[in-house]
Amino acid sequence: MSAGWKLLRREDLGAFLDELAAGSELWVPRRKGTRWDFDRYEKGTDTTFPGSIVEVSAKALFFPRRRPIARFNPKAKWSVEPVELPSAPRIVMGMHPCDVAGVRYMDRVFLGNDHPDRLYEAERNRTTIIGMRCSEMKPTCHCTDRNLSPDETEGMDAVFAEAEGGYLFRALTNKGEKLLGSSLLAATDAQPATREWPKGRHLVPGPDELMDLYDDDFWLEASDICLTCGACTFACPTCTCYLVADEKFGDEGERVTAWDSCQFLSYSRETSGHNPRRTNAARLRNRTLDKFAYSFHKRGMGSCTGCGRCVLICPIRRSFPQLGAKLKERAEEKKARVS
Amino acid sequence: MAHTELIPRPATLVKVTNESADVMSFEMEFNDGAVMDSLPGQFVEVSVQGYGEATFAVSRLAPDKKRFAVSVKRMGHLTKMLHRAGEGEVVGVRGPYGKPFPVNDWKGRHIYIIGGGIGLAPLRPVVDYVTANRSDFAGLEILFGARTPGDMLFKDDLAAWRRDSFVKLHTTIDFPAEGWNSRVGFVPVVAKDLGLKPDNRIAVVCGPPIMIKLTAVALRELGWPEESIYTTLEAKMQCGIGQCGRCNIGAKLVCKDGPVFRLDEIPAHALA
Repeated sequence: MSAGWKLLRREDLGAFLDELAAGSELWVPRRKGTRWDFDRYEKGTDTTFPGSIVEVSAKALFFPRRRPIARFNPKAKWSVEPVELPSAPRIVMGMHPCDVAGVRYMDRVFLGNDHPDRLYEAERNRTTIIGMRCSEMKPTCHCTDRNLSPDETEGMDAVFAEAEGGYLFRALTNKGEKLLGSSLLAATDAQPATREWPKGRHLVPGPDELMDLYDDDFWLEASDICLTCGACTFACPTCTCYLVADEKFGDEGERVTAWDSCQFLSYSRETSGHNPRRTNAARLRNRTLDKFAYSFHKRGMGSCTGCGRCVLICPIRRSFPQLGAKLKERAEEKKARVS
Repeated sequence: MAHTELIPRPATLVKVTNESADVMSFEMEFNDGAVMDSLPGQFVEVSVQGYGEATFAVSRLAPDKKRFAVSVKRMGHLTKMLHRAGEGEVVGVRGPYGKPFPVNDWKGRHIYIIGGGIGLAPLRPVVDYVTANRSDFAGLEILFGARTPGDMLFKDDLAAWRRDSFVKLHTTIDFPAEGWNSRVGFVPVVAKDLGLKPDNRIAVVCGPPIMIKLTAVALRELGWPEESIYTTLEAKMQCGIGQCGRCNIGAKLVCKDGPVFRLDEIPAHALA
């Protein structure tokens, strides 16, 4: 595997994408109204790549919002048949480091235990990720405070970056190498520009400090105006909580997994009515602690990648990173009181 | 073909028993003849096609491990459909899942089972294990509470345990009722009255959350260390395999790290 960078001239981008799309499903960022989302590439369409996050994470490509896992005939007693595992090769191009980190976290959830999810595994195996280095950090971005950086490449098969006159590509795995054999790519000595990224803008207390704030009034105050709509969880690249349900449409039935949200009252409510997280405050606390404390214990990795998607989507304009800053203040106050 | 663990395997109901006005036990066997390799305290996900699935403790496992049972209180949609299912009908089953009771670590000890209502279901396999391996244990004492005499579950088992000189059985109901000759009072109160000391004993507690909490308080007042008290917790679950998220207590997942916990393993706020 070559370690060097290859240059694609800007005017050749369309031709290169056409080449990639000839052998695979190709998914690229696409501007839809006011936001970016991933979309299936159609031959010959103009494509640009945003310099920072695609607002709608690529999470759904690996773990769809609604995912049939089996089909059945509602009239039969028992006719549950697993769906076929997807195998058509696919390329997802233009995922930024925070989104790829989300996939790395999902790998731990779905594959890192005794019962690997074969459907997720199939989506992963058929996909080659061509990640993209960010050329900017938005005010809501805080990956540099979440153990990541706009230059991070872990989890990508290949990476590209905007450069003078075009794009620089580099393979990171054998899978990625296979996609970069095009004659449109020319070996070069050029390197992507490097820069110092801002850090320390959105600090959060460490896991132990956070646990010390479990009974703090903070959660009640902070959750007061939350609508518990769950938008932050759906936008989050690592939020993968799901429910299992049977759906019937006439003669067809499907068992599906569907995205669920820890912000919903029904999420942990038992049939008896008992609910360990009845209040908005308890649910906001659970989510915050899961992101910044529990996930380290459960999955060996924090589950906030610092992408800021939760901030961008929140209907009450809640800034979760700023909540972290407030928690930090509370933790300092508490320390001062104790000592 | 290897597929996602979420796909259930068909099992046929071979015996359906009315335990009380709202509890039924369903004995079943896998259609392919496979064994249910569950240990006391583990649970399964049971599906009724078209209506979804829910989590139930295995409430009995036959010695050949082919036939297993769940005991189900009618509470919601899925349990209502299960209650309508008769012998010969097919349901889906996944599992067993979860951490079992560490019965092997309890050898030589006196086992004290404390169950409230449907909470006796996950404890019955422990009773079965201890009675079947009685030479390994110092004794078995059972305290079972139900709301009314009609809510007493597993009546055949209760009678058998009463006859068995190895077992000491106490039953209680919440309020006095005609014809009831046993104890009256909530389980935690009766546990306090019985006054069993922790000497060489292991307590195994299951019931509604409030009962578990108050029983733990009663035992602590009697001098029990948390290390000698085990419980199995209920939590809303969908996957049963540590993925879907909702059953967490702090950083612990009830489906994977539990449902069986030693009391000192449970974060203090969880039983609040």
